[in-house]
Amino acid sequence: MTVRYTIGLNVAEGFIVLRKYITVGISLIGITLLAWVLRDRLTLANFAMIYILVVLLIAIRLGTIAAMSAAFISFLSINFFLTQPYYTFIVADSRDVIELIVFIVVAALSGQLGARARQQTQEAQQRAYEQEILYRLTGSMNQATDFEAVYKALTQVMRKDLHARQAYILPYASEPRRTDETVLFLLLQARDRIYGTLCVAFDTALSTQQLRLLRTCAAQAAMALQRIELAEKARVSQQYEEADRLKTAILRAVSHDLRTPITIIKTSASNLRTLGERLQVTEREELAATIETEADHLNKLIGNLLDLSRLQAGALTLNSELNSLEEVAGDVAARIWQTTGRERIQITFPDDMPLVVFDYGLILQALSNLMDNALRYEPADSQIEIQGCVNQSEVQLRVINHGEGIAPEDREHLMEPFYHGGDGHIGLGLPIAKGIIEAHHGSLWLEDTPGGGVTLVMALPLDS
Amino acid sequence: MKLKILVVDDEPQIRKQLKIGLEGYGYDVLTTSTGEDAIIQTAQQKPDMIILDISLGSEPDGIEVCRRLREWSKIPIIVLSVHGEDRTKVDALHTGADDYLTKPFSMVELEARIQAVLRRVAIEPTTNPQAEIRVGELYINLANRVVQVGGEDIHLTPTEYDLLRLLATHPGKVLTHRTILHEVWGGEYSEMAHYVRVYVNQLRKKLRENPSRNIRYILNEPGVGYRFISSETVP
Repeated sequence: MTVRYTIGLNVAEGFIVLRKYITVGISLIGITLLAWVLRDRLTLANFAMIYILVVLLIAIRLGTIAAMSAAFISFLSINFFLTQPYYTFIVADSRDVIELIVFIVVAALSGQLGARARQQTQEAQQRAYEQEILYRLTGSMNQATDFEAVYKALTQVMRKDLHARQAYILPYASEPRRTDETVLFLLLQARDRIYGTLCVAFDTALSTQQLRLLRTCAAQAAMALQRIELAEKARVSQQYEEADRLKTAILRAVSHDLRTPITIIKTSASNLRTLGERLQVTEREELAATIETEADHLNKLIGNLLDLSRLQAGALTLNSELNSLEEVAGDVAARIWQTTGRERIQITFPDDMPLVVFDYGLILQALSNLMDNALRYEPADSQIEIQGCVNQSEVQLRVINHGEGIAPEDREHLMEPFYHGGDGHIGLGLPIAKGIIEAHHGSLWLEDTPGGGVTLVMALPLDS
Repeated sequence: MKLKILVVDDEPQIRKQLKIGLEGYGYDVLTTSTGEDAIIQTAQQKPDMIILDISLGSEPDGIEVCRRLREWSKIPIIVLSVHGEDRTKVDALHTGADDYLTKPFSMVELEARIQAVLRRVAIEPTTNPQAEIRVGELYINLANRVVQVGGEDIHLTPTEYDLLRLLATHPGKVLTHRTILHEVWGGEYSEMAHYVRVYVNQLRKKLRENPSRNIRYILNEPGVGYRFISSETVP
């Protein structure tokens, strides 16, 4: 890339160069004046030391060219003003000639060294600056989970740190429409894949270092984009795998568990139709009632299957609000009274039980599933307890059953979908409850009830 | 005279079953599959009530039909929805539906809802509501602001009392969280649904509800609001 200066830049740059030489001139005139005043009291070696010091300082502050000029001017000044005969470039004493030659060599060398030290410091600073920008960029890009976030981090660095007038990302490969050193189009490319084009416009053309930094930023962004793309691909393929496993399980469930209620409905309905008047009234009523209960059963099963597939596909949207767990427990208890006609549940909540953010319908479903499970193993003469409590940063709902407990080998499979726990019951309730609770960033686990039985503990975070 | 009910659903089998069932309960039943026709039939046939499916599968959908009907008619509307459409239920209620029922439901449930809605419509025009409400163990005297449970006086804070009065004077009717907030706390609180939950919770404790024995006065309508139990359905 050729560097093309605008007129404005020329003036500014020229001014800086001019100021440099004015500084050199003033320093040398000052020091020469001082030496001239003191020339009878000091020796040539003294002056030489002072001049070398000045040359060194100039080298450190202003660089090689200024230092070299200063060394040469110093040489001339000493020769002209400070060696006899004064005001000529003739040197009378041959010892002075040696001193002068040594002076010019030492001045030139120290000027070189000083200037190099200066250059190295500057380079180190520049590198540190670049490192810092890159560090910040990669830091914010590592947290990015989508392309937009990476685009945003990149354009932000362009605007804030590189002072770009304009910076945006085109999501495809593109070329600039006109050639202009202040407008740059950089491909965001990792291996063979192009993720877009970074378009930046600056007020002035960039230096080599700035260009290098720009390219590094673009390369980092491309790598971040690639990482996100790969992670997304992995997630999708994992979902496909899960969905596939689920599909097999659903098919198995359809063939076993869904067919049962359908068979019952079908036989009841055909009995009603074909036998009709030949049946007694009570029998007809019983058949009709069976159709209704089995339809409800089927409805619940299908609802569970739908919830499960939604949970596993990550497609569950929460309708989260501040809700009362006590209300959920009340609903579940009332439903169980309505189906069993008996007081099977004892509810205990502390008076200061806080509201928690959750989806009412889903948590109701989860608790119903836990209750169904607990009730199935509850002895007929005892009651299930539902206890609410606050435990540090979470609220817990404990469903306490007093049955026989679960065999250790069953326990670890209990939360897996379609696990038949020996009693032939389709195992969907607990995995769905677990899925729902985890979708709320909570957790579900089993504990032993003191004195026998299983306690299911549902915990939801308080601060979400 | 028989009451006339218009059933709007795009599923022919559901229209047929509802017609058979409702005629069995002694109603005259009209049916249609589209929202457009539902509006026309309401204007021409003047039914006494509409059973309206929310997702009609064509424009206008149930909510839109509800909104357009409410521009000129006060006809009672019960909407039918499927499980999980809480937002739609709330929308329907705010657009003017009187109640909703979630599919699948039994004819017994539908008939009970129809009766409850018709009864409320019949009561509503009287500007002088009854001064006493009795449901199970609960007794409310609106004139003297007295609340008793099992013959014992219950002390309620003014907000709790207002909440109870609002619910109890609309037995069997779903009141959305927003409606309750608006009526009890005032319009500026309409986004603070958790106030309602906290107060309902306190109220329930004072009214000595025991859901395990089905002793309840205030029923939850998940994702929608609350419904005060109607005296006919007290266990």
